[in-house]
Amino acid sequence: MGGEGGCGMDVELKIEPGRGEPKVVILAGADSPDLQQLVLELAGLSLDPIQVWTGEQALFLPQGEFLRFYTQGKGVCAQTKGGVYTVGLRLYELEERLDRRRFVRISNSEIVNLDRVAALDLSLAGTIRMTLTGGVYVYASRRYVKKIKQTLQLERGRGR
Amino acid sequence: MRGRNKNWLVRIIAGGGLGLLVGVVWVPYVTNSRECPPLALLACAGLGVVAGVATQPFAESGRELLLRSAGHFAVTAALFALLVVELEITLDWTGVLAWEGLLALLYVLIWLGRWIGWYVELSQLRELLGLAPGPSPLKWRETVPYLPFVLVLCAVVPLALRGIERAVGTDFPALTGIVYPLFILPVASLCAGLSLGRRRGLCPLFPLACFVCYLPMVYVLDQTVALLHCFMTAVPALAGNIMGRVFPRKASKEGPGYGN
Repeated sequence: MGGEGGCGMDVELKIEPGRGEPKVVILAGADSPDLQQLVLELAGLSLDPIQVWTGEQALFLPQGEFLRFYTQGKGVCAQTKGGVYTVGLRLYELEERLDRRRFVRISNSEIVNLDRVAALDLSLAGTIRMTLTGGVYVYASRRYVKKIKQTLQLERGRGR
Repeated sequence: MRGRNKNWLVRIIAGGGLGLLVGVVWVPYVTNSRECPPLALLACAGLGVVAGVATQPFAESGRELLLRSAGHFAVTAALFALLVVELEITLDWTGVLAWEGLLALLYVLIWLGRWIGWYVELSQLRELLGLAPGPSPLKWRETVPYLPFVLVLCAVVPLALRGIERAVGTDFPALTGIVYPLFILPVASLCAGLSLGRRRGLCPLFPLACFVCYLPMVYVLDQTVALLHCFMTAVPALAGNIMGRVFPRKASKEGPGYGN
């Protein structure tokens, strides 16, 4: 299956049944800083689904479905619009696997999907409350605000 | 963590040292004597230490920030009171309270400055996330529609009632002295605060506006007790606003983001 993208660049998509991790090959006449930037950005993309558990049943859910990942007791849970699942990974391991453009750590115990943030509120005591789609509230630690901003500036600013 | 502790230790030592130095130079100048009261020097050194760690309360947020700020203020207020008493700046406890009031005002200003910094930071995050701009700082814009009502409640009505009292020629100003400030004003302020709270959430400037608008009545009505009436409007306004925040309207057109 092939197609032609906009912006003067040909984009070709090949579906290989059975392939796990998608592979991107860039064909160019010469190296350039823009190309290097593109390589860096593509390398940072993570499209793998995440394995979650509901009871004894294992599911692979696309990353875009997750609202947040958070620690509960000694384990890690994942919340989607449909429910809460158990994840067999630590938060730092999830941080490595998740799409850096989309997911960011907001406190010691929580990673959120920035695409699912519907509103931000600031209390008089400086608490930042994030409202995720579906009316889920999470609280960002002030210590992570700088990191959140940097992530957004770096990852989203490039796209503009 | 260890590096952070070392950083705080350096701040404490540097702050204490500087405070002591200032005390050694400044205290004899204020007392017009060669002797330095040791307690005054201790207060100076202590104030230097609390100034050195002044950013610590703002390192966190929420409950921790409030607790740390309260603790920091309590220690600073105690040291400040000690300094004021030792230097004999004021001779009675009301004077000490007045100085403490100024210190509290300074704290509020610092907190406000920090809060505005947080607000700007949050606005940047909203912009980067492509979200709609949130409420105005301290919800001043949301409070403005209620100001005409506050003006009528806290200025126009008391003045009109006083006019009636003068026209009738009563000896005792029961309307402006008892009926209005003790019964009507608190209820009306509570209802207005409730309405604002249910529509726009917590608006800290609303009770302040009530207080400030009623303040001229202390002089206009020529009643020193009217200063107490300022609280009779501000406190119910705040209570109503908090109640409205706790029990918001069920169907909010503004959606999330206006609730806080």
